[in-house]
Amino acid sequence: MGLTSDREIAQLIAGEDPLFLDLLLPTLEEGAASKLFTQRAALDYIGSKVKGMGRRPGAARRAPFEDALDVLANTVIAHVPVIGGDFRAKCVYVAMMARRVLQAVSRENMTDDLDYLGNKRLELAGQLIALLFEDLFKRFNSDLKLNVDKVLKKPNVANAFDVYNQLQCHGDLITQGLTRAISTGNWSLKRFKMDRAGVTHILSRLSYISALGMMTRISSQFEKTRKVSGPRALQPSQWGMLCPADTPEGELCGLVKNLALMTHITTDDEEEPIRRVAYALGVEDVSLITGRELHAEGTHIVFLNGLILGITRAALRFVRMFRMLRRSGRIPAFVSVYIDDHRNTVNISADGGRICRPLIIVENGVSRIKDMHIQELMSGKLQFDDFLRLGLVEYLDVNEENDCMIAIYDKEIKTYTTHVEIEPFTLLGAVAGLIPYPHHNQSPRNTYQSAMGKQAIGAIAYNQLSRIDTLLYLMVYPQQPMVKTKTIELINYDKLPAGQNGSVFVMSYSGYDIEDALVINKSSLDRGFGRCQVMRKFTAIVRKYANGTYDRVLGPPRTSEGKIPEKYSEIDDDGMACPGTRLEYGKLYLNKESPSDGGNDINAGTGGSSAVQYRSTPLTFKYPDHGYVDKVMITTSETDQTLIKFLLRQTRRPELGDKFSSRHGQKGVCGIIVQQEDLPFTDRGIYPDIIMNPHGFPSRMTVGKLMEFVASKAGAVKGELQYGTCFGGSKMEDMCRILVENGYSYTGKDYVTSGITGEPVGAYIFNGATYYQRLKHMVADKMHARARGPRAVLTRQPTEGRSRDGGLRLGEMEKDCLIGYGASMLLLERLMISSDVFEVHVCETCGYIGYKGWCQMCRSSKSMVPIKIPYACKLLFQELQAMNIMPRLVMEDI
Amino acid sequence: MDGHVNDPNGPRIRIRHLDETSIDFVLSNTHLSVANSLRRTMIAEVPTMAIDLVEFHDNTSMLVDEYLAHRLGMVPLTSHTVDEFKLTRDCTCADYCKECSVEFNLHVKCTEEGTRTVYSTELISSNKDVSPVTEGPDDKGIILLKLRKGQEINIHCIAKKGVAKEHAKWSPCAAVGFEYDPHNNLRHLDYWFEKSVKNEWPLSKNAQEEMENDPDAPFDFKAEPTTFYYNVETVGSLKPQSLVYMATRVLQEKLGGLELALDEDQNPESNANMDDTEPWV
Repeated sequence: MGLTSDREIAQLIAGEDPLFLDLLLPTLEEGAASKLFTQRAALDYIGSKVKGMGRRPGAARRAPFEDALDVLANTVIAHVPVIGGDFRAKCVYVAMMARRVLQAVSRENMTDDLDYLGNKRLELAGQLIALLFEDLFKRFNSDLKLNVDKVLKKPNVANAFDVYNQLQCHGDLITQGLTRAISTGNWSLKRFKMDRAGVTHILSRLSYISALGMMTRISSQFEKTRKVSGPRALQPSQWGMLCPADTPEGELCGLVKNLALMTHITTDDEEEPIRRVAYALGVEDVSLITGRELHAEGTHIVFLNGLILGITRAALRFVRMFRMLRRSGRIPAFVSVYIDDHRNTVNISADGGRICRPLIIVENGVSRIKDMHIQELMSGKLQFDDFLRLGLVEYLDVNEENDCMIAIYDKEIKTYTTHVEIEPFTLLGAVAGLIPYPHHNQSPRNTYQSAMGKQAIGAIAYNQLSRIDTLLYLMVYPQQPMVKTKTIELINYDKLPAGQNGSVFVMSYSGYDIEDALVINKSSLDRGFGRCQVMRKFTAIVRKYANGTYDRVLGPPRTSEGKIPEKYSEIDDDGMACPGTRLEYGKLYLNKESPSDGGNDINAGTGGSSAVQYRSTPLTFKYPDHGYVDKVMITTSETDQTLIKFLLRQTRRPELGDKFSSRHGQKGVCGIIVQQEDLPFTDRGIYPDIIMNPHGFPSRMTVGKLMEFVASKAGAVKGELQYGTCFGGSKMEDMCRILVENGYSYTGKDYVTSGITGEPVGAYIFNGATYYQRLKHMVADKMHARARGPRAVLTRQPTEGRSRDGGLRLGEMEKDCLIGYGASMLLLERLMISSDVFEVHVCETCGYIGYKGWCQMCRSSKSMVPIKIPYACKLLFQELQAMNIMPRLVMEDI
Repeated sequence: MDGHVNDPNGPRIRIRHLDETSIDFVLSNTHLSVANSLRRTMIAEVPTMAIDLVEFHDNTSMLVDEYLAHRLGMVPLTSHTVDEFKLTRDCTCADYCKECSVEFNLHVKCTEEGTRTVYSTELISSNKDVSPVTEGPDDKGIILLKLRKGQEINIHCIAKKGVAKEHAKWSPCAAVGFEYDPHNNLRHLDYWFEKSVKNEWPLSKNAQEEMENDPDAPFDFKAEPTTFYYNVETVGSLKPQSLVYMATRVLQEKLGGLELALDEDQNPESNANMDDTEPWV
């Protein structure tokens, strides 16, 4: 590669450092021992090691040294360009790599931290689609070429050849490939041998927060089965970049993360202008530098996107100038530059996928943002982008952030400060930002709430009533929380809320509130508390079959007396139920019929001998509670089949067992619904909507919830909204003052009278308004019981699952309990008699299953006995017989 | 109990304040259980009128049928003539009739640009005595829904008599405040405080009505509360004074029924209503 002397190599790698030279010595000695003293000899040696690299058959065999040069130029460290056979840059790069190894050997802290966020890059949709497109485009081109060659090879060249025809044949290869990849999520690329599933997900629109949460989600490539804590742990470098609270529980904990509020992910910036700027700012080109200069004291090697650009002897000045140019807009805002003091490098990054966030620039101990700017921002004259343009605010990525001195508040600015935070609460993401006073909660509670906030029922979008989703939960009277946060305002949760402010008393009541169960006021439910609508889509396709037959939609049939059968009562003459119709269990809402042969009979449609036979394939309402038809949509699918979509609606008031949660990871089910007059009340006549058991507090340590109680009570008393923003929010002192001014105790507790006896309750009751979310898990969707019902065809055992009206399984562990207890008859009943009992006739002589009174094996009717075995057992015997294993049953008297 | 009404030593009511929607009174000379029963009755068992059935002829508004029906049910109706109605289940009619219900009609179509707000006062009642509650002649009532151009609502509502035990829409009460023994002479309360009870637990205004016991006097553990301070707010369906009156009457009727049943229980022979076919006899 043009680097021949040991001295030169040693200098490039080790500089003047004797320690590194010592470490390098064995390598050089081995080089000498192998007796390769000329460049040609070395190249030949490398060439002999090169395996038959994709050489085209038929091409002339090259000399080994040519192979070696080719490999060195194009395969080894391919991203360092070799221009005109100049290997210098690549040499320096290899030398730097070797030096890194030596550094890591000699000093342990010189290894890179692979969990450090600055060493990570995010893959974005654009990048992934670009890769996919590249792959598809290449395939398209090669396919086209192949086809064109095929045509041109043919002897008859009579008609003019037009590629256009070929293009038309394969025109949608790219479109199809993209569509398939995006709809299945399977990304398989030839170039990188990439084959990944689950790259795309369907955006969950179950609630506004779940949609928002999904759009900020980052999933790690790390294998979830490996038991390493590093990648899952909270990394200090993710401060302000990734939300510390919002991660799922369980196997994906810490691997799936969420962006913090103000983060931005960079995209690729052009390198060439940056390179020019760097050279203009005094970077000396690598090709002109010797190893001695490279590692000299005070010089820094300048990297651009990991490529060596050159060296600078005044790194601080270079970085300062560079940043100045960036702040003035001469360099793209998302290009970062920082000094790595450990390795004496200056790194410039302009690549995509870095996470960065905005910070206010501080100069000479003074924030660049003055009151004037804030006023102009308030009056709408300036916007955030203008702040960026004016150089008041800049985006820093994780690496550059590490090179800065960032104050959290203005008052903490010292002379050496370079930046100040815009707002510390933005270190949380959009989902965790809903929690009031999260900085007072035990941290797992915030994580739990981050998971639960996505399940809360509320308003999902402004177009929610025009949408037809497969499943949609809407709250009837959603309210914005009494205790808001700044994040809530920023993400417009106050306009699309999911929850209601309820009056909550913290006390025990009735014993139906153990294990986090809630007592709910019946009158509140009557008045609409927690009420929600469930919309569900059902689709039917009116098919046309290949043989010319088609499905038909008919009006209700009539009996001989001209009456409409009961279950068809809601069907109109067009065969459908109209919007607004009330549907009960078992009622039809689409009366569709399909050809009974499934469209396979070739003669059917062609006016053959027999008229087409139809069987009924209707849509039936299958929920225990009644529902309504909300919308009916008739449309066509891509393949021109008629689609009929029904949106069915149910309005549900909370019932026993429905799940609720506050915003502090404190979930609970409704344990009892109590008449208002039985509930405790304060001397002002305030009744609770919800009573929560105080045992929920000591172990959970959700102090933020207590603070929410007080703040929202104060807010309700004064008639204003309060803030519970992270690291800020309304001060407890002020809240208590408001309470005292209005005649309440500053503790938030009140004297309460029992509604049952009229006597005072023997303790002061902590109460206030608290934002409660109704979660999507509802008893109505889950309750299930069965005595008799359908059975599976193969095994004759009861079906499984609620949707198939399945039986309740007496599982492995339950079985063990019964064995342990010795309840053998019960076991027999549960496992056989109530399941798949089957009578078989067994021949006592041969032990095989025969007919009633006849053994086919023995050709006799002498010794047949009936026994009862599970049908699955009989099935097993027959399957064994099918594979030439003959199980024999040995009969014995007991 | 029956003697109490004319008994000078029986319960007394002294009204301290009265306006259109609230009453502040002192109930004295009675037992705590009676006072609490009165409160419970006011909340749950005083009958009023409220819309119970809604027939939708046309609804092209944003609000779905159940939503609107729920809203209509919550509209308080003037119910001073509620006694003239029968409960539907006691009525002889099959479905509903004039004797047990009042009908309302609402037919609004928005024809102009912008939104058309529909108020509760636009409900046309079949009975002049039962209509949506308003606060004065200029009040348009409660907003029921808003319509955009081209949207139409045509509904027929049936208001029935009922009690809040069944559904809160029949409750005539908003908040009911209730207090006794403001000085804590009976020591039913054990005040929690940091430094001083007197400073941290200010006395309510009801404290002026009673004397504080001498702190040095021996504690009378047999004493019972006799005076109760009420503050009742109504939703407007009933006048506050008639609410209290009706509540006492409902209470009396229930106790009357109980007394009768007890009598029957003690003298089974005199029981004319006893049905021999009933299995549990």
